[in-house]
This record gives sequence, structure tokens and C-alpha cells, in this order.
Amino acid sequence: MKILAFDTSNKPLTVAVVEDGKVLAHMESTEIKTHSVSILPDIQESLKTANLSVNDIDLIAVADGPGSYTGVRIAVTVAKTLAFTLNKPLVGVSSLRVLAANGTDGKLAVPVIDARNDNAFAGAYILKSNEVVNVIADQHISMDKLFELLANYDENNIQFVNVSEHLAELIQNKMPNAEIILTKDSLPNAAKLANLAKDEQPVKDIDAFVPTYLRLTQAEHDWMEKGHKEDGNISYVEEI
Amino acid sequence: MKEDTLILSFESSCDETSVAVIKNGNKILSNIIATQIKSHQRFGGVVPEVASRHHVEEITKCIQMAMDEAEVSYDDLDAVAVTYGPGLVGSLLIGIMAAKTVAFAHNLPLIKSNHLAGHIYSASFVTELKYPFMALLVSGGHTELVYVKAPGDFETLGDTRDDAVGEAYDKIGRVLGINYPAGKEVDRLAGIGKDTFNFPRAMVQEDNLDFSFSGLKSAFINTVHHADQVHEELNKADLAASFQGAVLDILVNKTFRALKTHPVQQLVVAGGVAANQGLRKRLASEIETRKLDMDLIFPPLRLCGDNAAMIGAIAQIQYDKKDFADLTVNADPSLDF
Ligand SMILES: [Zn+2]
Repeated sequence: MKILAFDTSNKPLTVAVVEDGKVLAHMESTEIKTHSVSILPDIQESLKTANLSVNDIDLIAVADGPGSYTGVRIAVTVAKTLAFTLNKPLVGVSSLRVLAANGTDGKLAVPVIDARNDNAFAGAYILKSNEVVNVIADQHISMDKLFELLANYDENNIQFVNVSEHLAELIQNKMPNAEIILTKDSLPNAAKLANLAKDEQPVKDIDAFVPTYLRLTQAEHDWMEKGHKEDGNISYVEEI
Repeated sequence: MKEDTLILSFESSCDETSVAVIKNGNKILSNIIATQIKSHQRFGGVVPEVASRHHVEEITKCIQMAMDEAEVSYDDLDAVAVTYGPGLVGSLLIGIMAAKTVAFAHNLPLIKSNHLAGHIYSASFVTELKYPFMALLVSGGHTELVYVKAPGDFETLGDTRDDAVGEAYDKIGRVLGINYPAGKEVDRLAGIGKDTFNFPRAMVQEDNLDFSFSGLKSAFINTVHHADQVHEELNKADLAASFQGAVLDILVNKTFRALKTHPVQQLVVAGGVAANQGLRKRLASEIETRKLDMDLIFPPLRLCGDNAAMIGAIAQIQYDKKDFADLTVNADPSLDF
């Protein structure tokens, strides 16, 4: 099975083509690229390296958030349009799970994406023999709350992944025995994303596939605070 | 015989997700428009992050409907076109990414089009355009006089110095307690009211082709607030008629000033405010009293707002010039001519 995988949910951009576990092409940018500019040329180049046409691909895998809203939307829009227009199966993998895959076997990997004001998008995953098993659901959470959730686990076995310098300070204070892998040492890797995707169920309704933002927009949040309720029956978008 | 050209076009610059299939730049095979108005009404205006999220929800559905309604397959297409600016960057990006992906997947040429040029070329669905022609572009984001010398060759003669005309309608609409977008209701009220308030007509004495609406907007808001303070009830229809009267005087003054130095056979009025009935009537009567031998062209109402059909129209001109883009196309939120 040939998988085309990509992730633009954070600053780095990564694309890979993987066939039955064998990496045919892998691109990983450390320098800051404009994802909207680079993603399609990078996909094109990866396919060329793999000596494949896009029609040869059997599965499209994308990191579907959380992360930078615009970043996640770029990859998700490309992935869903590609799967839709070529009629290919599509798998969305949590961006945090992709980061967790950078952890060490046997550890509790805790990927954290800095969401400012001492908040993060975070989850927890146990890594064992190539599997990345979720144990604390991905969520938008204050770091204090995250430390509480992690209190039940052996601090010596915890490995924070994708840590910004600011979050590193908080972690060192609170959990000095936990291991910290900084953002620059835990680039998302599309080859690992492809491996995570191969065991997952493809998306049933490609049209309905959207990023996992894990946060309402500020406008919707404020609107709900004013006492408005979503009754689930309103269609906000209509064809005219 | 020239072969037919079929262009699949995308437009997502603000709060409409639209995909169309256009034949030869002047025939609409499909023009799917998914509008988010109901969503943004919750907030009294377009919220960019909310708009971007809706675009992702709608995009593939719109492509499917556009292809189905046009009864075409990807093999039938000659090119893919997309709005790359101006507009909201997050919104633009969804159309751009989808268009690039379809072009890449099916090995089709890609065309990046200017949203403003698209609005002007919505007139191609009404009649054959004769160069040079004049365009008055009026919408929630723009108020411009554009002289179109040849296909795709634009010269901006006048622009707004502050608010766009449609924006001014929304702002005074809010003061009148009218839901966003307010243009249609203000136009209706203006039709039954009288111009009694004598609001200022900014810059009509000045010998340039630029517009300004912020002074008018402030005068309007001050009038209403003052009346509120002294508990005086003002006639809403007269307020609307007075506002619209000033707007139309400004638009007409500058448009005919432009036509004096740049005579043309056709005047195209495009953009969301081109749907305004008061504007339609006023321009027609001005042309008549001035005895000008000039056609006045308004796109049908459905093509006044944002839509992908208009992008297919301007893209056809670019297609004929082989003005193609590559897969690195990015959004240009403040693109002009
Ligand atoms: Zn527009």
C-alpha cells in the first residue's frame, strides 16, 4: 500500500511517500516555509522522488490538528480535495499523535503545542513497539491542569515532546524529573504519520472532514457566553 | 471554429464558498454559491476565523455540485481558476488550496484571478463587452471607478479614501437596527422615504475621482444619536432616503466626471451594491437626461454578490493570453489592479 502523508499543523512542513513501511520519499523543512506556497510543490517533488504519479497513491494521510488554525486548514483542505477529486481513501491523524511518535519506546509521551498564556494543546500517549496509544485525550488545557492529570503517572517515565522554551520553564519547575524534548528536536515526521495512518479507518464522509481545532473561535465563544445556544438544527451555511 | 473552453473556477475571498463551470467566459454551466450570512449575522459582521472554518466545510461539496450540475468530468476541463486576492487571507487560502489541488491532481493549467476584475467581468454574462468601457465597482469592500482599455487591461481612475460604500450601508444599518447585511433593507426604506436631512456630499466639488463616505456616515450617526438624546423620533424611511440620496449623488457625480474625460459606449456597474434599486434607477435616468449614447450594464442580481462564475469570466481572458500560474500561488489579501 502506497501512502502519501503530510503535516502542516505547526511551523515545520513535512511530506512523505511510504510503501508498506518503506520510506520512498521524505521531506522535512526546518526553516520556516510558507505552507500555502510549498505544500503542493513539495508533494509533487516527493512523488517524483518516489517515482510515482499521484494516481498510484492508495491512501492519503494528513495531520488534522490541533495546531495553528491556518496551518491545519491548509493540509486538511489539500488532503480532502485530493481524496475527493481522485476518489482515494483518506485518514486523519491527530497532530499531537504525530508529535508523540517522536518519543522513546516505553515512555509516556506528552506532546504539547504552546497555545499562549500558559495553555497548550496536549494529550498523552504510551509508546510501545511502534504503537502510539492514546491515554489522555487531546485537549486545549492550562498547563496547571495538565500537571494535575499527569500526577497519576511516574514522573521519571514522562517525556514532554515539542516543548517551547516558555513551556519548558513551567515543566522544569513543576516536574523536574520529567524529560523534555524541545520543539527544535521533535519535528513532525510524515513518514511516521504514514505508519500511524495505515492501521486507521478511512474517513467515511470526506465532505464533512474538517480540522480538529479543539477550540471555538473567540467570536463563537463570546456569543455562547451571552447565553446563546447552538440547538444543532440551524444550518449556518446555505446554498443560494 | 474555435474550440470551446471549459474553466472550473473557485471563489472564497470572504463569506461565500463558490465553485462554477464556465464555458468560453460567457456561459454559465453551473455556479454553486454557499453563503455564510446566517452564521455571521450572529456577530453583526464577517468574522474571518469563522469564515475560514466554513469554507473548509463547504469546499468539496461545492466542487461536486458544480461538476454535477454542469454535467462535466475532469477530462472535459481546460483549466482551473481561483481568486487569489483581494480578500480575507484565511478565506482566500481555502479556495486557493482546493484549486491548486484539483489542477495538480488532473494536470490542468492553473489561473490566478483578481477578485475585482472578476466583479467587472460578471458583465460578460449580460452582453459582449466593447473596449474601452467604464466600470463602477461598488461593494462591501470596494468603491472604484475602473477604465478597462482592452481585455484584462485595467486602470483605476478613482478609489475610496475611507469606507467602501457597502460598508457604509452596514454601519448606518446597525444604527437603524437593521440586521447585517443592511444594504437591501436600507434601499427598500429609501424607496418609500424622502431626502429631508440634507447629509453632506463629500468631495463632489473636488476635481478628482475619489470617493469618501466616512463623513456622511458620521453625520448620519450623529443625527440619530442627537435625536435619541432629546427623545425625538426620526422617520426611518426619510433617514434611509437621505443617506441613499447622498450616496447616489456622490457615486453619480464621480462616475459622470470620469465619463467626461474617458468617453465609452458601455458603463458596467458591478459588486454587491450594484443590486441597489435606487442606484439602478438613478444611473439610468442620468444617462437619459444627459442624452448619452451609452449602454448601462448591470449583472443579474445573483452575479452582483461574490460568485465563482465571474472568476471564470476573467479567467477566460487570462486563458486566451496563456497567463498561467504555478503551484506556488499564494493569497494576496490587498491585491489591487
Ligand atoms: Zn466581492
